Order: sequence, then C-alpha cells, then structure tokens
Amino acid sequence: MSQGNPFALIPVIIFLAASLAVAVWVRMRTARGNYDFVSEYFIGSRSLGGFVLAMTTIATYGSVSSFVGGPGQAWLVGWGWVYMAGVQVTALFLLFGIMGKKMAIVSRRLGAVTVIDAIRARYKSDAVANISAVIIVLFFVAMMVAQFVGGAKLFEAVTGYNYVVGLALFGIVVILYTTIGGFRGVAITDAICGVLMIVGIVVLAGGILSAGGGFSQIMQNITATNPEMMEPLGGGQMPIGLYVTQWLLVGVLTFCLPQSVVRCMGFKDEKSLKNALVVGTIICGIMMICVTALGVLAKGVLPGTLADYGNSVDNIIPQAIVQTLPSWLAGIAIIGPIAASISTVSSLLISSSSSIIKDVYLHYQEKQGKKVSDVRISRMSQVFTFAVGLLVFVLAVVPPSVIWKINMFAFGGLETAFCWVLVCGLYWKRANATGAIWSMVGGTFVYCALMAIGFKPFGLHQIVAGITLSLVLMLVGSWIANRNNATAAEDYDEVFFPA
Amino acid sequence: MTYKEKLQQASKEARAAVIGLIGTIIVWIVLGFGVYATGIVIGSTPLWIITGLFGPFLFAIGVAVYLAKVVMKDVGLDDIEPIQADAVKGDAHVAR
Repeated sequence: MSQGNPFALIPVIIFLAASLAVAVWVRMRTARGNYDFVSEYFIGSRSLGGFVLAMTTIATYGSVSSFVGGPGQAWLVGWGWVYMAGVQVTALFLLFGIMGKKMAIVSRRLGAVTVIDAIRARYKSDAVANISAVIIVLFFVAMMVAQFVGGAKLFEAVTGYNYVVGLALFGIVVILYTTIGGFRGVAITDAICGVLMIVGIVVLAGGILSAGGGFSQIMQNITATNPEMMEPLGGGQMPIGLYVTQWLLVGVLTFCLPQSVVRCMGFKDEKSLKNALVVGTIICGIMMICVTALGVLAKGVLPGTLADYGNSVDNIIPQAIVQTLPSWLAGIAIIGPIAASISTVSSLLISSSSSIIKDVYLHYQEKQGKKVSDVRISRMSQVFTFAVGLLVFVLAVVPPSVIWKINMFAFGGLETAFCWVLVCGLYWKRANATGAIWSMVGGTFVYCALMAIGFKPFGLHQIVAGITLSLVLMLVGSWIANRNNATAAEDYDEVFFPA
Repeated sequence: MTYKEKLQQASKEARAAVIGLIGTIIVWIVLGFGVYATGIVIGSTPLWIITGLFGPFLFAIGVAVYLAKVVMKDVGLDDIEPIQADAVKGDAHVAR
C-alpha cells in the first residue's frame, strides 16, 4: 500500500462516520413512527422542509464532476468555461417552477411515490414505465461509477492512500447509509453534504488565493502567460456551439432529470417549495460559479502544461489541494468533493432501487393480485439498494477515464429520455403512450449511437440531435395513435387534465 | 380552489419559470459577450467576467424571488384527496 497521510484521512473518516450515524438515527426515529414503509423509504413520507429540499436537490445535481472535472477543464480553457458553468443558475428555479407544484399536486392525487408512478398513471402504460425503469437504472449506474471514481481518485491524490482504499471507505459507507436511511436519510445527509461542499470550496479558495499571491496577482499572471484564458471563446477552445449545447445539458434540460424531479414529490408544503426555490437558486449559483472559478485560479499555482499533471484535467484540483494546503486542511478540503460524490450516489441509488422494487416488482405483484408484506418489501428494497451499490463499487475498481464526460453522457441520456415524456405528460393532453415510447426509445437510442460513433451533427453535441428527435417522435407518435383511435384523444385523464 | 384550478395555477408558475429562463439567457448574453465587446478591464479583471458571471446569477435570484413571492399561490396541497387510480394499483401500500 502507498504511503498515506493520516492527518488528511481523519476529517474524511469523521465525516463518513457522521453520515452513517445520521442514517442510523433517521432509521431508528422512523421505526418508532407509524410510517408506511414504501412511502417512507422512497419519498420520506413527503416531509422535506425548504432548506433540506434545496440542499438535497443541489447535492444531487452537483456531483464530483462539478468539483473535479469542471474546474479542471476551467484550468485548461479559462474564464469562458466558468461563464458557461454560470448557466446552472437556472437549474433550481426551472425545476421548482416547472415541475414543483404540478408534480406535488398529481403525486398527492395519485398517491405516487416515484416519478415512474406518475409516468405510468399519465400514459396508462406498463411498457412506458418499464422502459423508464431500465433507462433510469442504466444511466444512473454510469453516473454512480463516475462519482465513485472521481471521489476515490481525489482521495488517493490528497491522502496518499491507495485508490481502492478510498473507494472501499466511502463506497461502503454510502451504500450502507442509503440502504439504512432510505430517502429521508439520503435527503438529510445530502443537506449536510451540501453545507460541507461549501466549506470545501471556501477552504480550497483560501489555499489557492494564498499560494497564488492573491486574486489580482493570479489574474495578472494568467493575462501575461495565457491571455486566451481571459476571453469568452478561450482562443477557439470554447466555440459558440459548445455554449449552446452546455446551456441545454447543464442548464435548460436539467429540470427533467428524474433524480431531481422526484424531490418535487417529497416536500412538505408550499412554504417549503418557495423557500427551496430562493435558497436553492442562491446556493447553487454560488457553488457552481465559485467552484469552477477555482479551476481557473488554480492556474496561478499550477502553471505547467497538462502533461505536467498526468495529462488529465481530473488531476488539477487534487494537485491544487495538495500543493496549497497543509495536510490536515487538505483533509477538510476534500470533504467537499467527496460529499458531492456520495450525495449524488446516494440519491441515484435510492432512485434505482425504487425503479425496480417499487415500479416493476411491486406493480407486477399487485397486478397478479398478490399482496406483498411490508417486511418483504423492506427486505427486498434494502437488499436491492445494497446490490446495486455493490455492482457500482465493483465497476469502479477499474477506473474509466475523464469523469465529467461520463457524467455528461448520462445527463444527456436521461434528459433525452425524460424531457418530453415529462413535459408533454404534464402539459400536453394529447400526448399518449405511443408518443412516449417512440420518444424515449428513439431519442435515447440515437443519442447513444451518436455518442458511440462520436458523430456530432452540425458540430453540435449529440444531445441536440437526441432531444430534437425525441420531441419529433413524441409529436408524431402521439398524432398517429390519436388519429387511429379518435376516442382515445378525447379520453383525457382526470388527474392530469380534469374536464 | 378546485383541483382543476390548482393545476391551472401550477401551469401558470411553469410559464413564468420559462419566461424567467428566457430573461436569464438574454441577460447572460448581453452581460457576457456584450460586455466583452467593450474591452473594459477593471484592475486586472476584464469587466465581462464580473458581469457575465454575477449578472445572470443576480437576475436568476430575482426570478426565483419573483416566482416565490408573486407568482406562486398556495393551492392547498393538503386538501388534495388521493384517488385509487388503476394505473398505480401496484401502489396499494402507499395509499393511506
């Protein structure tokens, strides 16, 4: 095993132990209450307050790639990348504005506890629900692997302990606390993670600014050595097409990510929604802008070429932490990105579990007239959560390359699959199951195929083709199905479109 | 407020959020690319970096506050009666 630094390890261990303790506390507290297991485990009995709602949404949205890959790319490209990251300020007001109230209303009406519950009810189709479940699990697994890898690489670089030690340490903790705590445990630990992400940013900012001679000095150095980093187009590295696609990927379309939408079903009341809207927009903006800006400022302390830092932008922030902070403070600084990593993993893990256990298994048991006891559901949910976590852990042992690309791939896939299914499902009464299936399958397939062959139509990211085709297929599929069944078009749903 | 009116209020909030998005995009372009074209530098920092990052951010906060204080109305989520929809019958464990 490599030479590790125990001083850098101690803050991480304290943080992980605290997360686990919170999950156990939540479990013990809910065990004393008279909660329905499914509602409690998968949606926290709709009890999230404003602050927790805001922080769990941000912590789920902001992943380790926000802390490592994004700032690393900013170190390479310059302020244009930060300007682009600024589009994320719209994420929360779009989510809570477009989805917040509507999902809260229909999920209460339906008694729905998952996004797929609502989709199944809207389209009256098991096929749409099952395809949704498969897509969610596949893309979530990809995202979770990226989170584990990012966190473990950072851990290795900063503490000096082996990659697998880091992976095992927080991999086991996050799997355990998600399995034990369920949605409520995840939401509360997410909120704690969100706060610690801010702490990590502040500590790292202090280290970089101090080591670089202050903000002005760093800016002067960058202007002198890399003037293109001070331009929005980054000397050609930030073409307009990239801005357009990033607006779609991390700005406009993030409101339809299932892991975010499910939070709109879990808040307590409208006051919580309003508070989360304002608080979340402020904190999300501060976090995303500041953490990405740190990447550019790191140029002041890491002035070499990419080859000097292992030829990967993922190494930049770990190097900045190691070179600018004493080891005990480095241990605190890495809690931010590790918190971002595990909070995203926990949210994806619980959503994956609900997709399979709640939306597929339970639904089919019920359809066959079989009653499943709460004890059995409880056991299966926890076993499945643990098993998916374990699968992701094993996949992450051999790390893939650049983390932010994996993350962005999964973001794009989920947005392509769910954007029009959710938007048209909630706001267009003529949308139907045929359109939903065509949109989801066709759009996602084309998006993945284009990503696999690396072809960018008109030089734009594959999300543009995926999301456009997905919309066209939704419109055409719905139109054809409605034309073939004239009465179906008038048979509007009393929950989503009451007469 | 009837159930239908609750949904209409939610749709109104969604429309306002989309308008807020369009406004944020315009502010982002004007205060980023637009200010960059002026070539103004304050201290050692080009002005477009300051306005391009913090302008849209402050505008987005304004949108969020406007949505929360003006557009969003309490519809009474607690008043919503759950139904037993066939489509979510697998959800019998949830209905309470």
